[in-house]
Amino acid sequence: MTAVESRSAASLQALRRGRRSLRPIDVVQRSIGYALIVLLALFCLVPFAWVVFSAVDADAGATVQWPEFSFDNFVRFFTASGTPLLLVNSLVIAIASTALNLGLGIAGGYALSRFVFPGRRFFMFAILLIRVIPAPATIVALYLIMVNLGLANTLHGLILVQAVSGLPVTLWLMKGTIDAVPVELEEAAWTDGNTRLQAARRIVLPLIGPGLGAAAMLMFMGSWGDFLTPLVMLQNQDLYPLAIGLFRAFSERNVVDWGLLAASAVVYVLPPAVLYMLVRKHLLKSSLGGALKG
Amino acid sequence: MTSIVDAPAAVQTAVRPPAPRRRRVQKTWPLVLLLLGPSAVLIVLFIVLPAVYGIWLSLTNTQLTGFAARNPQFIGIDNYTYLLASADFLNSLGQTGTFLLFSAIIGQTVCGMIAAVLLSRPWIRGKGFFGAALLMPMVVPEVVASLTWASVLATSPEGTLNRLTGVFGGEPTAWLQTAPMLAIILVNIWRGLAFAMIMFQAALEDVPAELIEAARVDGASAVQVFRHVTLPLIRGPVFLYLLLTTISTVGVFGLVYFLTRGGPGGQTRIAAIYIYERALQFSQIGIGSAASIILLVIVIVLGVVYVRLAKVEV
Repeated sequence: MTAVESRSAASLQALRRGRRSLRPIDVVQRSIGYALIVLLALFCLVPFAWVVFSAVDADAGATVQWPEFSFDNFVRFFTASGTPLLLVNSLVIAIASTALNLGLGIAGGYALSRFVFPGRRFFMFAILLIRVIPAPATIVALYLIMVNLGLANTLHGLILVQAVSGLPVTLWLMKGTIDAVPVELEEAAWTDGNTRLQAARRIVLPLIGPGLGAAAMLMFMGSWGDFLTPLVMLQNQDLYPLAIGLFRAFSERNVVDWGLLAASAVVYVLPPAVLYMLVRKHLLKSSLGGALKG
Repeated sequence: MTSIVDAPAAVQTAVRPPAPRRRRVQKTWPLVLLLLGPSAVLIVLFIVLPAVYGIWLSLTNTQLTGFAARNPQFIGIDNYTYLLASADFLNSLGQTGTFLLFSAIIGQTVCGMIAAVLLSRPWIRGKGFFGAALLMPMVVPEVVASLTWASVLATSPEGTLNRLTGVFGGEPTAWLQTAPMLAIILVNIWRGLAFAMIMFQAALEDVPAELIEAARVDGASAVQVFRHVTLPLIRGPVFLYLLLTTISTVGVFGLVYFLTRGGPGGQTRIAAIYIYERALQFSQIGIGSAASIILLVIVIVLGVVYVRLAKVEV
């Protein structure tokens, strides 16, 4: 009894001592560690300083400086000819392609999760393999197909392409999410007189919120941020999204209006940033939760 | 199509255990076709067909404008022989290789690994802050990333980087003209290191703490433990990461096009930009498509190599 007590007391003391007085080698290692992580954080954060300061600077240039505080740049963004249209186009493209993508993804994911049919595994792996194809490798042929379908240089054509490009990931995500909903719940709804699809809508749909949120965020961010596809697909200036508008404002004028560019960049970053913060927790839950439940 | 963002989800769901038992297997074809049919048709139409059509186009002399636009001819492998003898194209492949090697395979991997290892230490304070700071570049759209770096790398003495080097007595430099490849490599490391960090953090969590402790008790230094215990255990995830980052880095277009447009003098004309220029600016669809197919084949070969390397010693 006493032996046990004294031993545990001794080990406790050793533990305490170990925590208080670090060996010199530990001090060196921790200092290096902190120096490295601070450097990495600075490397990641410093470029943003310019956007944040210049957007609210009446006298913005290519340099990081303490702003002469004013919202003038934002006022100019929303009143300048053409720029509000860029924002509207971006919103239309991203929201419509996300909605279409989720609609197709829920239906397809439900089929992949609940039915066993020949070719199911093949289909799942085939759409996973599609990710190997780099976007620039198919964009030319895709453009010609869109021209032949009469969909090039139209917003609905671009929306369709965006929605489908994110579909493999959405299908995988939705399949996994629906797998985690017990079939028994649906069976109970069938016996209550619901059809298969009614049961799916009433039982499954309310339970897949987090997975759906994660899929929606990934799709929205992908579509909102894409540069190559709209650059190739759209020629009409009235259809440009913010990505192309910003690029042209930066590269095609002799005098770059840094203040307006910074304000546009802030407007452009806000929707995905807000969405990311809203869905971040669900993103972790849906990827970890599925693994735990399965 | 920012594959950097959507990749982790695909990976995580990919390793999920199979679904629980399914009922009512028979007579479900109409319903399956109704639910999955539209997705399957659209994926074939807008993803598979362009790839196949690209192979066909690469064997023709299709042009966007002019005579061959109306009446494209089958010309066999002429485009391929032209490209493989073209210094411009071989240069663009070389630049893609340099870009991939230094930005993704070395830069992002090393920075991401350092960040993941440090943030897994129990003694480090401010994990939330550092994690969020490192994630920020990944969340912003490509164009905004390019724009912020255009200001950092700006030519004038007031550009952020020039101010920084000015402190140490450096002359103002036009970074995007004098060191364009270095500049785009730096920017791509910046943008991709968070993805590496996330992948490695997940992998490090699966390494049993007892193994590390045992090695430490045996007197191994932190570096030795990492080299001989941790690294062999996370080989699989590391190669999976290399596969994903290779695919997404070869697909990088906007970042480079925004900053340098492939210039100056073609010094940053990576394959993605070569394809875009040939097919859509010089309207040589056939040659652009052949370049696409060569790029695709290289990515697939690299993918097979990674998968082999990951399996052999795990």
